[in-house]
Amino acid sequence: MSVNKYLPHILVLPEDEANSDIANGFLLHPQLNARSIQVLSYVGGWKVVVDKFTTSFIPTMRKYPNRRFVLLIDFDREEDRLGYVKQQIPDDVKDRVFVLGVLSNPEELRSSLGKSLESIGEALSANCSDNTDGLWEHDLLRHNKTELKRMISSVKPFLFN
Amino acid sequence: MLQRLYVHNFRCLENFEFSLREMSSALLIGRNGAGKSTIASSLELFQSIGRGVNRVRQLVQPKDFSPNRSNVPIRFEIEVLIKNKLYKYMLALELPEDFRELRVFEEQLLVSGKSVYSRKEAQVTLTSRNPEAQFLMDWHLIALPVIQEQSETDPLCIFRTWLARMIILAPIPSLITGDSQGETLEPKRDGSNFGEWFSGLLSRYPAAYTEIKKYLQVVMPDISDIQNQSVSRNFKSTIVSFEKNDRNFTIEFKDLSDGEKCFFLCAVVLAANKHYGPLFCFWDEPDNYLSLSEVGHFIVSLRRSFKNSGQLLATSHNQEAIRKFSSENTFLLDRKSHLEPTLIRSLSEVSISGDLIDSLILGDTEL
Repeated sequence: MSVNKYLPHILVLPEDEANSDIANGFLLHPQLNARSIQVLSYVGGWKVVVDKFTTSFIPTMRKYPNRRFVLLIDFDREEDRLGYVKQQIPDDVKDRVFVLGVLSNPEELRSSLGKSLESIGEALSANCSDNTDGLWEHDLLRHNKTELKRMISSVKPFLFN
Repeated sequence: MLQRLYVHNFRCLENFEFSLREMSSALLIGRNGAGKSTIASSLELFQSIGRGVNRVRQLVQPKDFSPNRSNVPIRFEIEVLIKNKLYKYMLALELPEDFRELRVFEEQLLVSGKSVYSRKEAQVTLTSRNPEAQFLMDWHLIALPVIQEQSETDPLCIFRTWLARMIILAPIPSLITGDSQGETLEPKRDGSNFGEWFSGLLSRYPAAYTEIKKYLQVVMPDISDIQNQSVSRNFKSTIVSFEKNDRNFTIEFKDLSDGEKCFFLCAVVLAANKHYGPLFCFWDEPDNYLSLSEVGHFIVSLRRSFKNSGQLLATSHNQEAIRKFSSENTFLLDRKSHLEPTLIRSLSEVSISGDLIDSLILGDTEL
């Protein structure tokens, strides 16, 4: 069966192929409860992520209270982007929506680490599972700290076995 | 792990080289006729040799030469890493004038660069034996299946077992009945001996039942039992029970839906890799027969299972399946016409403007 929408689950909407590759790596963690997470098709641009989320997914967030959502975007070193995106999220679902991404873009992170994007996703998944900062402390990822902490406390009980 | 496959002059594969190296899972994409199934056939040739098929005509026919190239040998090479040792097996077949059946031109097995045996036409030299031994054999027979192994640790035994246990699947659910008249650890490409494989796995590794049921309960939460029961002497039949709200329902395996049979196949692949792996698995279009809600989870299950042990090579035309792989582990196959050979390149080395799926739909992905 697909993700059970009546049980706690999380949907991930990646901005582009690179972010999707990181999400694919995240899925490969052996302790991940794979049926509680679904990576959606990437949409091509952070603005499209926001548009698609607000038009297509906010109604389903309201319908299914066990649904969490990750908007996986590039921040392109734009300091205001997180604030802008969060402003588009209605208050009644805000606590179940998380905005994460690389400070610049995944390609720069890949070059910096010399690892494949899937391997980066796997490492981030392992850090979430182990409650370690690890790769999340990287210069290009550190800014996610507040959102990450909020997300982990929301999804950890069901996302990892 | 399969490190490298080289095929020359076999159908659409000319000077074709495919390196998987340390990839635990990879995907082949490309339009119909690009050569994906021919790669499966090449791997199946090695699998058949490992399973004891040694008559050349049972493996390759004169029609298998690349177009108008029957004067050049067909060459197959495979490099496999098993317990940190690199096994390299080479087989070249030729069709001399006035021959109706191909014969062995060259054959060799090397382990970590050292020759175990080599062969030139009928002359076989066992270089790993002390003293070196030589003998002649029919040049229409492959030597690998017939050379006697000295123990279970003999490289010949290790390599043949690896080849024999390769899983190559392009399942046809209507042929998967769950009935069996024996046991095996060697599934057929179309899945038609699934019952024998299921019986063989459970007979030798009873704990595999737990793995199989665990996987199936995730995809079919109401499944309660799987019985592989004897119907008569040497004949078993599989029945599947479901339970919900204290109500039971039992059906014969053959009456499951096509997709549900694929769930069983996947469960057995995962259990086999765990219990007698690491295995190499080639699955031609694993997304076939599955609902859209299942494709992604099915692919991720396979990829996760082979992550730390074994190796998965899949093909697909399904966008949900394609999106579960990354450009680093996706290979694009292309062929300009039926008269030209297959080309292959990692997707990470291919320039694609815009979205990959759109590009595939439009037929814009070319090498």
